[in-house]
Amino acid sequence: MIEYFLEHSVSHYNYWAAIIIMMIGLYIVISHTNLIKKIAGLNIFQTAVFLLYISIGVVSDGTAPIAAAGFAIYSNPLPQVLMLTAIVVGVATTALAFALIVRIKEAYDSVEEDDIFDKDDLCDEDSDQW
Amino acid sequence: MKDNIILRIIAKLLIPLIILFALYVQFHGDYSPGGGFQAGVIFSAAFILYTLVFGVDTAERVIPERFLRVIASLGVLVYAGTGLDALIMGGEFLNYSKLVTDSVTGQHIGIILVELGVGMTVSSVMLLIFFTFANRGRPQGNDHD
Repeated sequence: MIEYFLEHSVSHYNYWAAIIIMMIGLYIVISHTNLIKKIAGLNIFQTAVFLLYISIGVVSDGTAPIAAAGFAIYSNPLPQVLMLTAIVVGVATTALAFALIVRIKEAYDSVEEDDIFDKDDLCDEDSDQW
Repeated sequence: MKDNIILRIIAKLLIPLIILFALYVQFHGDYSPGGGFQAGVIFSAAFILYTLVFGVDTAERVIPERFLRVIASLGVLVYAGTGLDALIMGGEFLNYSKLVTDSVTGQHIGIILVELGVGMTVSSVMLLIFFTFANRGRPQGNDHD
């Protein structure tokens, strides 16, 4: 049982790499209060997902999935094209996140979550008094 | 950064090479890894470098935002038009084999046209995103708020 686990966990090292990168991204998202750094963490998390899918689609000794004479074995193009779409969607979501951060910066004059929450609390107290 | 001569010379040297590489990735994309998405991003990186070195105002004179909007829409039109053309020629939507009488030539023309549309849209949308952020909060020509 243990040997089986060891054998498969070593041969599927791409899973471990993806999990480690994913956890680095998740840690950045939950530990930093700076919104820009949170987005950077989210992008690292995303990269881990890309790597996971593309490494699953790899065929040993395969070339890029392009029809050419002399090459019969090629990697699975489906995860690659799926991740191409995911990269484009990732760029769009990152741009949207940055647009929201720009608006937050204009409204609160800060990109630090703590400052933003402090200002929110101050606002709440003021409205209670009035 | 306009006054920094090292930056200006390096940027002037690099920008043509970046654009050349973008065109290589674009037009060699049907034989090697590459295509519209990658080429579009590399192409817009050249203009973003230009903007960083020479300023937003100069860059907007070189490549105005209105022009970018037109190119972005035109790219979608090229993509959809290729698909509809295949539909008119009696195939399915985006069935390149039916574009011309010879199916192999049709495949080549089809993928080049589709990737051209993708490249145009991606590069201009990337630049539009960049210019939108760069212009935000600048006093002149900004009618927000």
